[in-house]
Amino acid sequence: MSKKVCEKCVLDSEIPGITINEESGLCHFCETYAPLSSEEKDEYVARMEELFEEHKGKHKYDMIFALSGGKDSSYTLYKLKNKYPFLKILAVQFDNGFTSENAVANAKKMCEIAGCDYFKLTMEKDILYDTFRKAAESHDVFPKVAKYRASDICNTCISIIKQKLIEQAIVQKAPFVVFAFTGAQSPNPIINLSANFIQWSRKLFEKQLQEMGIDDRDELFLIKKDVIENIGNDAPIMLHPLCLWDYNENTIIKNLVEIGWLPPDINDSNSTNCTLNSFACYNHLDKYDIHPYAFDIAGIVRSGDMSREEGLEKLHKELSQPLIEEAANKLKLKLK
Amino acid sequence: METIKKDILNYLNNKSFMDGNTQLNDNDSLTQNGIMDSIGLIELMDYICEKYSIEIPEDMLTPENFDSLQGITDLIVKLTE
Repeated sequence: MSKKVCEKCVLDSEIPGITINEESGLCHFCETYAPLSSEEKDEYVARMEELFEEHKGKHKYDMIFALSGGKDSSYTLYKLKNKYPFLKILAVQFDNGFTSENAVANAKKMCEIAGCDYFKLTMEKDILYDTFRKAAESHDVFPKVAKYRASDICNTCISIIKQKLIEQAIVQKAPFVVFAFTGAQSPNPIINLSANFIQWSRKLFEKQLQEMGIDDRDELFLIKKDVIENIGNDAPIMLHPLCLWDYNENTIIKNLVEIGWLPPDINDSNSTNCTLNSFACYNHLDKYDIHPYAFDIAGIVRSGDMSREEGLEKLHKELSQPLIEEAANKLKLKLK
Repeated sequence: METIKKDILNYLNNKSFMDGNTQLNDNDSLTQNGIMDSIGLIELMDYICEKYSIEIPEDMLTPENFDSLQGITDLIVKLTE
């Protein structure tokens, strides 16, 4: 059967699990697409502002912010602090062993501009490489839905970041944890976490790590048990403000560069900060035949924030062979 | 109750890429069977709260209540009574 591409987004019938309706020419996701209306977005923004008012200034930090130094998190931090200058923010950059030099410089620079504290979360490189090697070698550790959201390597990395940032928020008694996810990556702008849910998420990730052959007995990646036990009644609230704002990649990069953000020093159309990303995409495609950015790009195109042509070009752009080889060497993995 | 169960099953079919021929029994764990992860659970909670106009109390958010078709259905019935 010949390949059919959704007439609205970029998903096609060769991606496992995707069918294109012969009559409408659309994929199932475009057919059932129900974006947040501008009224709903306004309501979420108002709710977020109420929460800021209610919780601000009670402890050293109001917010623990996940800052990769890439375009989305740099932009979100800048805009958040511009709109709400009273927020006391601790920006945490997780150095996964593959963070580009410019990404580190950009994270520090953005904190300087925005007036936030910067903390670089580092771990031993050998431990990180071993973890990502095991993630690359794993099969079906994450649920099917997660395979469409990100590669196994990225899902592992993001899970570590979430665990450690929530841990940091509990320790610092910061009421908010913020991630710069686009609407396509996470459509829920405000998530009230609870101790039960945090505990449950921890168990799920612990099991995923174990299935990869990783025993995190030192709780390097998981939220420390004694931290969860002392959480009390004040679990942090997770916020995704970027999904409430207009999103245009080119405009975001242009605006950031104007204020001193350095353009990416890596040749990866899907990441401006991580030198492991190309290998992660290659590995995911090899294992599952699913491009881990297909749904993200499709979502941005579906929402009108990127043209379909741009999306298709981005999705089908060849992965960087030098980056793939460099990461494979570090992970001591052979390429096919 | 059957309508609610069917609705949740439809949601899972649509959002979790569950294969049409996946056999999901009422008490099967969604997370242990690789159908949902924590992000998926958050999205499912959001859907349920919106669809059934309910708020899920924090203490009810446990695997016993929220990790199977039956558990979720019972929870919705309880909260909409």
